[in-house]
Amino acid sequence: MEPLIGMGVLALMGVAATIAGASEDLESDVGSQSNPNSQVQLAPQMMFPHRIYNKAVSGEPPSNALMCAIGATGAAVLMGEFNLSPLFALVIGALIAACVHGTYAMTSTMGRAASQSRFKQPVYLDMIRSHTPVIMAYAFITTFCVLIISYMMNVVLGHPFPLPLLAFIWGITIGAIGSSTGDVHYGAEREFQQFEFGSGLNASNSGNIVRFAESGLRNGYDNSWFCAKFGGPVTGIAFGMTVFLGSWITTVFDPAVSITRGWLSAVAGIIIVFILIIWNRKIEVAARNNYGPYKEDKPEEEAAA
Amino acid sequence: MSAGGDGGGAKSNLPPNTIIGIGAAGGLIGIYLAHFLPATFSFFGGIAAICAIVWGADAVRRVASYGLGTGVPSIGMIALGMGIVAALFGLSIGGVAGPIVSFITAAVIGAIIGVLANKVIGMGIPIMERAMVEIAGAGTLAIIGLSTVIAGTFEYGAVLDTVVSTGFIAMIFIMGGMGILHPFNANLGPDEKQDRTLILGVEKGALAMVIAGLASSINEGLGPAFVTILVGLTIWYLAFNKYFGFVKRDAYAVVGTGLLPSEEELQ
Repeated sequence: MEPLIGMGVLALMGVAATIAGASEDLESDVGSQSNPNSQVQLAPQMMFPHRIYNKAVSGEPPSNALMCAIGATGAAVLMGEFNLSPLFALVIGALIAACVHGTYAMTSTMGRAASQSRFKQPVYLDMIRSHTPVIMAYAFITTFCVLIISYMMNVVLGHPFPLPLLAFIWGITIGAIGSSTGDVHYGAEREFQQFEFGSGLNASNSGNIVRFAESGLRNGYDNSWFCAKFGGPVTGIAFGMTVFLGSWITTVFDPAVSITRGWLSAVAGIIIVFILIIWNRKIEVAARNNYGPYKEDKPEEEAAA
Repeated sequence: MSAGGDGGGAKSNLPPNTIIGIGAAGGLIGIYLAHFLPATFSFFGGIAAICAIVWGADAVRRVASYGLGTGVPSIGMIALGMGIVAALFGLSIGGVAGPIVSFITAAVIGAIIGVLANKVIGMGIPIMERAMVEIAGAGTLAIIGLSTVIAGTFEYGAVLDTVVSTGFIAMIFIMGGMGILHPFNANLGPDEKQDRTLILGVEKGALAMVIAGLASSINEGLGPAFVTILVGLTIWYLAFNKYFGFVKRDAYAVVGTGLLPSEEELQ
């Protein structure tokens, strides 16, 4: 393949991955999946019933792997059996995946609320009706973008794995990145905005999540609005970088050309990992120095100032 | 406080042995029917998978009631992890007895993992060994059932060509695994009821059947695929309505809209 075309494909994959990452995180935030879910689940037991969607579809990696594998299966069938153009096939595949994901989301939020009847947590049908389409829409975007990445890898870059398997692996990856990168912004910050910033989660505050919004009762939309400012985009950048840098090394140093190139691509990958480790360390040290929790209180100096 | 219940054994209306019977017998019979009958009847593989998934969901329910809150998804994944090894091994050497060989292999793998979990890792769950055997068996039958839907047979070569090398095995793995783990995970809480959990297993199994039916159109042709999808959608619709009925029965209140319960109500 021409190196220039390879780079173009890579750029397109990076863009799709960035969008997928952002929508993946917001999808999990609308429904309070994975990390923030434990507090949403705990709240009614601590006498804090709420109107927040309880989308307990396992962790994000399996649930995204599910969406992407279903979408890829649909797309592979439509392309193989019906000779549909890839663009339509990927769209319809993603649509099927979003519908299946919608049933998973609905059954979990209804089931979890029904299993907490002794704590008097009602099932709010309007909340389910309004939030499920949003969850499905985000799931559609995520699945479609992951399918684009997998399709490009399979057809253009010539990856030997079949489409459903690639989509499955990328689904697990995007779920893992969304769970580790974006969720903190919702689970640790947005759910506990009523407590002092940076105070951590005291055990006595467990389950005491924010249930009232600026106007009315807080719901999943408010949470995704908040997370769209930082948590979603940062997940998008993380996943975009993973896809881009992961494929960049083998596009620049193509192992198909010679075995030396193959080794060079591995070396380039290791160098990138080292640069990121050092960069992360610098950021962490800088953050601790500026905002760190270990500073001693100095009331006299503060009073003097 | 354990999010996964009160830390004791689960309360059941249907005894475990009945469900083991439904899962194992229903699963094996369905797989053999789908294998020997013409392609139009390959939907029996999906019914086998539903039986196996319901059994797996009940086994997860029993073992996870010992306070296994966030471990529920993991146990569903391990079920299919054990199942995929056992299924491919059994089908490759078993010939026409393939599903039975797979099933026995799964039981052995499950027993080893159960003993490891209790004796080496020290989880100390009384029914761990037995539950692992059951979960591995259910996972194996779910995989073979859904593979038979796609391939129309459980012959190793055909399964390898139409299920493994096309990548549909990834879809089967995750749909079977989620089918086994989701019912209890979605109903986690102190007021969980067995019938509500198991009907959700039927619903998720039916969804797996629909998607496997879609995938089967490449190999089996449109007619059998259409039959499988139609049967799957019918079961899904009935099970979903039944599930919603159970939610209305069990929930504190099912309201169209409303404010939070007041302080007095919560007392």
